[in-house]
Amino acid sequence: MKIVVAYKWAPNPQDAVVATTGEVDLSRAKPAVSEYDPVAFELARRLADATGGEVVGLTVGGPSIDTPLSRKAALSRGLDRLVVVADAELEDADGTRIATVLAAAVRAIGDVDLVLAGDSSIDVAQGQVPLTLAGVLGWLGLAAVSAVTAADGGLVVERSLPGGTTVVAVPTPAVLAATADAVVPRVAGMKDILGAAKKPVEVLDLAALDVPAPGATLATLATAKPAGGERTATIFDGSSPAGAAAQLVGALRQAGAL
Amino acid sequence: MNSAQSWIVVADDTAASGLVDLARSVGDEVVAVVAGRREVASSLASAVDRVLWLGEPDQAPVEAYGPAVAAVVAQATPRTVIGATSPGGRALLGAVAAALRVPVLAGVSALEADGDQVVVTRSVLGGIAEHRTAVQGGTTVVAVDPGGAVAGDGDLAPLEELAVTPLAATVTEVRPAAVAGADLGGARTVVGVGRGLKAREDVALVSDLAAALGGELACSRPLAEGVDWLPKERYIGISGQHIAPDLYLALGISGQLQHMVGVRGAKVIVAVNSDKNAPVFSQCDFGVVGDMYEVVPALTAALGTGS
Amino acid sequence: MDFGLTDEQQLLLESLDEVLERECPESYIAELDLNHQPPTSFRKAMHEAGFMSLGFPEEYGGTPVDAMTLVLLAARTARQGLNNGYGLELLQAMDIIEFGSEEQKAEVLGLLAAGDVPFALGFTEPGAGSDNAAMATTAVHHDGVVTFNGTKTLITNALQSRYLLLMAKDPSVADPRQAISMYLVPMDAPGITVNRLEKIMWNISDSCEIFLDDVTLPESCLVGVKGNGFKQLMRNFEMERLVIASQCLGLAECAFEDAASYAAQRVQFGKPIGQFQLIQQKLTDMAIKIENMRNFVYKTAWMLDQGVPLKSQGALCKRYCAMAAFEVVDEAMQIFGGVGVTVGTRVSRLWRDVRGHRFGGGTDEIMVHIAGRQIVKDHS
Repeated sequence: MKIVVAYKWAPNPQDAVVATTGEVDLSRAKPAVSEYDPVAFELARRLADATGGEVVGLTVGGPSIDTPLSRKAALSRGLDRLVVVADAELEDADGTRIATVLAAAVRAIGDVDLVLAGDSSIDVAQGQVPLTLAGVLGWLGLAAVSAVTAADGGLVVERSLPGGTTVVAVPTPAVLAATADAVVPRVAGMKDILGAAKKPVEVLDLAALDVPAPGATLATLATAKPAGGERTATIFDGSSPAGAAAQLVGALRQAGAL
Repeated sequence: MNSAQSWIVVADDTAASGLVDLARSVGDEVVAVVAGRREVASSLASAVDRVLWLGEPDQAPVEAYGPAVAAVVAQATPRTVIGATSPGGRALLGAVAAALRVPVLAGVSALEADGDQVVVTRSVLGGIAEHRTAVQGGTTVVAVDPGGAVAGDGDLAPLEELAVTPLAATVTEVRPAAVAGADLGGARTVVGVGRGLKAREDVALVSDLAAALGGELACSRPLAEGVDWLPKERYIGISGQHIAPDLYLALGISGQLQHMVGVRGAKVIVAVNSDKNAPVFSQCDFGVVGDMYEVVPALTAALGTGS
Repeated sequence: MDFGLTDEQQLLLESLDEVLERECPESYIAELDLNHQPPTSFRKAMHEAGFMSLGFPEEYGGTPVDAMTLVLLAARTARQGLNNGYGLELLQAMDIIEFGSEEQKAEVLGLLAAGDVPFALGFTEPGAGSDNAAMATTAVHHDGVVTFNGTKTLITNALQSRYLLLMAKDPSVADPRQAISMYLVPMDAPGITVNRLEKIMWNISDSCEIFLDDVTLPESCLVGVKGNGFKQLMRNFEMERLVIASQCLGLAECAFEDAASYAAQRVQFGKPIGQFQLIQQKLTDMAIKIENMRNFVYKTAWMLDQGVPLKSQGALCKRYCAMAAFEVVDEAMQIFGGVGVTVGTRVSRLWRDVRGHRFGGGTDEIMVHIAGRQIVKDHS
């Protein structure tokens, strides 16, 4: 089985500096393999090992996503090889644009049985791109996947949905987005990190890919820092729990919260 | 583009009031496409102007209707398409967005129509900033929280059944969750607990307080996904529930962005944590620096005696 | 001169961060400290992630790394607030890998893999510490066996360990430099009594006195060459001092972070105490000491990696870092005021634990003894 893991090299907005105007400065946020993507690497590795297949990492974005560090960070997590599309045109691209480029790259890789992705990215955090990718490819796209195994030329997929665990028989090819806790991903050890430098990386040229033009563009009219960020905390000392509790209940009554 | 129309894409879930309300705010005519059971389609009939129903899904997952939904929507090219942030909702929106080659915007709080263009007010990057964004040159596709059951005006729109073929995929088994789903979204008071909790059996400590407050129990991600002490429906955070209760209590929660973004809409936030440096104390209205194992029972007692 | 990390070091530190976040949160450390328990589950996770065989030869499942990488990892683990959490076990195991028999190697590496501490180092005695010539524990070889008698004390991790790496001397050899040998002795051998010493620091590492009363074992318990015990032990002393210095650095960083954020939040006289220059001066001097420690540790590791003779560099580094770290942690406690000594405030634990590094692995004063001699010798 040939499995592509679509992942993101992204900064954590936790470390962003947000101006009062709502402008976001991410320069201090160090990019990394997005938090939930290692789950997809791990699922892919286990499935590939069980079926005798190959795991290809795939990431697209601006030029900053392709550095020796970013390559090794991904390749040390169980990938066999890596495919990268890094182009200035994709800097700050919207999710649908990213999905169309991912789809073109999946087609360029060829004979892909399965695309796996993480739950959502650490920065945009919408969980949308894998499902839009499925739309572009015309494949079935399922999110909330907690387990996947191969069976009879297809896949048996377990999903963690509000109504309970749902088991779906899925023919390939398909796109699956894992839950954040589907598996505990292995930690990259020194051997994996040293080995990563020796694995093949293929850089695809955006211009050479068959990517349709966007059907709409986004224009940012205004930015703002969300309200609610500046709560003024009244702190009670809990070394006397009963006293603090009484004070708190009093304060909440006064604030009309009880 | 059909500027008068707002479409909603509904993925087998009767909770769709959030979709309908937002669609009404920017469309004279609201059209629903339903990939789900007849009862879901019927429940919308009194709230929207047209209901397009893709037939009984039987054993097909709603996601299998993505291409069919996309084809119907693309043909109409409405000004706005709205779907749910649920896994099924996002899949349908993904198919629509792919067909129209337009972005899907989430975290949306308001839409304003201006001719063919729609201006979207939304939170970005997990909620650290808010943008007003104009979608230009194409359909505006947004994902929103599905809300509750729809309330209609009484006029029933006829179900227009379309014959479509879903992608091949079969639901072979559904194992219902052991615990009934929580209604965190509707609760006025929510008590959230995090890693400060040391053992599964100590959940009782917190649920006692939730009971005393008449509120719902919730948790941060590690408790639902790391150790599985609480069901996942009760997990609040960036990829979990986003809630806006009157009162939210964060107990033993450090206050990482990934959690706090889920309660940003709360009117009053209370934090209890033994670490006075915990980031939660800069994001709350009231805080108690102390051991939650002592403060929480004291709080339950204080509420019980009406002091 | 390059102070940046290599990609490999950066990624390895990120992996360590993942393990620390999952397996070693502050609540875990606080509980171990409170209950005087070892961090077994953390060590096991560290083994599974490949950290417990770093620096070992590849034929023993290890991955060779340089001293700089080990130092970075030891400091990072300590910065989590965990004392003696990583590094020292590796050095001990390296003694066995270098000098032990195949059976001894298999046994020790297996225990390490299970998250156990393979052995405690049985060196210090009531009458002998750094003065090893005064060692009184005897090992008498006879009839293919060896019989031990004597008392060891302040033996770290004795209760957690399956073995004692025992240093004992042959009473028939007059020259103390050739009398001491190294033995791997099972803790449950008949004649061994272990007695826990209650202490006010290093709660996750037990300290014990050990009585050896006619303990008789086959001669195969000898590690390496008879009479070479002290020389074998000395092999890793430089690295041990460096790992201790790195831990001091990490623990000091942890205390500094706590104190700085506390100063920024604690309001007195209408403003955060961090706005007062007396507090700012403390924080500034703490930052300077941490920077000095970091440079000292990195430079020393670099010298080891370059094969530059350390001479007294390891002793200088250990002395400086242990003392400076304690000064930093002590000032951190001062910034916290009374809150700093309450149980549950991390700085109180750091204060206790860092204090131990001023004698563990050689006292501040012994470091002077080592370095001072060398300095005078170099100028004679």
